[in-house]
Amino acid sequence: MASQFFQVVVGGILLGGIYGFAAFGLSITFGVLNILNLTHGDFLMLGSLVGYGIFLHFGINPFIIAIIIIPLFVVIGVGFYLLLLKPISGKPPNQLLVASVLITLGASIVIEDLTSFFWPHPITGIDYSLPSLELYGVVISETRLFILLFLLILAVSIQLYLQKTYMGKSIRAITQCRGGAKLIGIPISRISALTFGLGVAIAASAGVFYITLFTVTPVIGIPLTVKYMSIVVLGGLGSLTGSVIGGIILGIAESLTAYWFGAQWSPAVSFILLISILMIKPEGLLGRQR
Amino acid sequence: MSWIQRKNLYLVAILCLCVLAALPLPASSYALMWVFLTAVYLTLALSYDIVGGFLGYMNLGHSTFFGLGAYSTAILLNHDFGLALALFLAIIFTAAFAAIVSYPFFRLRGAYFALATFGLISLMEVFASNLQHVTGGSGGISTPPGDYMVPAYYLSLIAAGGTVILSHFLGRSRFGLALLSIREDEEVARSFGVPTFPYKSLSLVISSVPAGLVGGIYVWNVTYISPPAAFGLEIALSPVVIAMLGGTGITLGPLVGAVFITLIQELLWIKVAHFHLTIYGVLLVLLGLFMPGGILRTRWLWPVVQRLGFGEKIDYFKKQGTLER
Repeated sequence: MASQFFQVVVGGILLGGIYGFAAFGLSITFGVLNILNLTHGDFLMLGSLVGYGIFLHFGINPFIIAIIIIPLFVVIGVGFYLLLLKPISGKPPNQLLVASVLITLGASIVIEDLTSFFWPHPITGIDYSLPSLELYGVVISETRLFILLFLLILAVSIQLYLQKTYMGKSIRAITQCRGGAKLIGIPISRISALTFGLGVAIAASAGVFYITLFTVTPVIGIPLTVKYMSIVVLGGLGSLTGSVIGGIILGIAESLTAYWFGAQWSPAVSFILLISILMIKPEGLLGRQR
Repeated sequence: MSWIQRKNLYLVAILCLCVLAALPLPASSYALMWVFLTAVYLTLALSYDIVGGFLGYMNLGHSTFFGLGAYSTAILLNHDFGLALALFLAIIFTAAFAAIVSYPFFRLRGAYFALATFGLISLMEVFASNLQHVTGGSGGISTPPGDYMVPAYYLSLIAAGGTVILSHFLGRSRFGLALLSIREDEEVARSFGVPTFPYKSLSLVISSVPAGLVGGIYVWNVTYISPPAAFGLEIALSPVVIAMLGGTGITLGPLVGAVFITLIQELLWIKVAHFHLTIYGVLLVLLGLFMPGGILRTRWLWPVVQRLGFGEKIDYFKKQGTLER
């Protein structure tokens, strides 16, 4: 019984790694642009479909696909930003909110509808698995373990990038104080475009692993965005550690719910977790006041 | 332009009402259904606009109230309650639900609020699909059959008319002005003694009542409701699209938007089999990019609206210097 419980918890941690990584992309985008990107989950879905296509045609290892997909989606993300979000970026806060929700929601619906027209059937995923590992009676899927390690390495390198380079520093500066960053001459518009691209690329890269583990349908986008938003609320804005911890908490909670109540209830978990966090500690676990 | 007067507008409104009231005599049930659905969408959009337009909080989950009203009415009707009692209890239930969720939700602002309310719909869908013995699961729930088209038609018209009146007078009341002040600047409103939190909750409750009512009327007429019909994407987006298209924060806005959208649906959706959601999506993007103020706030129509006295007390989409936080 106990080992079964630990089995579920370990499964949740491994799952939470992907959640945390993808949520980090949403978190930096929101921090810099002050726009909630409702298409985040859809870019994850697109990333997984593209990754699947690459795997099918070239048979490349998914870990390599997850890296080579990044530049492609940076370009897509920058294009998306320049086309749809840059025109509204100068508006006053209340109009910015309305316009950005309308635009990203509309884009997300268009992406989902078009994708489900061209891929009417769910895609079962990249057929890639490694042998399982048994440790103190707990079976650990080696695929998931490697994915978790890989994502951690990727996340740490992104974090280093944010800490050390000029662009990374500007991203953090804009997250902290937009006006101040503008005042000292940070090119907000250019940094915003690149950040959006980076966020989209992170989502797409996470999507490659998502399709390695799960079935992907075109309509997963918006539920995933809600899920990642609850992680961002949980972990605080722009913080990698917060996102990863939030992701792991959510992963464990979902696995336990599926274990205790059945898998059909696990979509409700992220939302209930979000509500309870808001009731108890509205500023997030590690975050500051919004 | 001297014919643009309030008096003439009232005449037009009364004329429209007379036509609508007499419509069941000659018209086919298809036309009745069309007006019925327009009235349902109009009520949803207008009640959405109390929170979305007056208060300035984007409540993307407004259709939750519609779905709750529909489901609770259906369940009550199946337990041999009369229609009036079932609708009444459904409204009470919906309003109570709104009061409860308003507490955690109004701790959020801006985009967070929008997305959290959007998530509420999917939560409700999970509940509706999984609580088999109460809601009938993903197969949906049927109510006692019968031909209710004509009475339901009048009921929906009354609901829509009532919501128009509610929205109009709410916008001019002290409470409505308080909501506008919260929309403009919550901290300043609070420092001037507006009890922001209770008012926000109250506005959500008020906006939930017409939505729940119209959900009940809808299920009574259609005699069937399923999770996708109650909590699906299309019903969730339509109030937002309608209100935004017409112009949020003005009573006239959702009216214009509802007629516009249902006409588009009639013209386009018969011809195009696919991509209904894509059309909605493109519409949303275009609205966000080019006219977040809606049709009524375009350069040609806005003076007319103001001349009629239906403009707003505080200009929502005014040009102002960008305030950096």
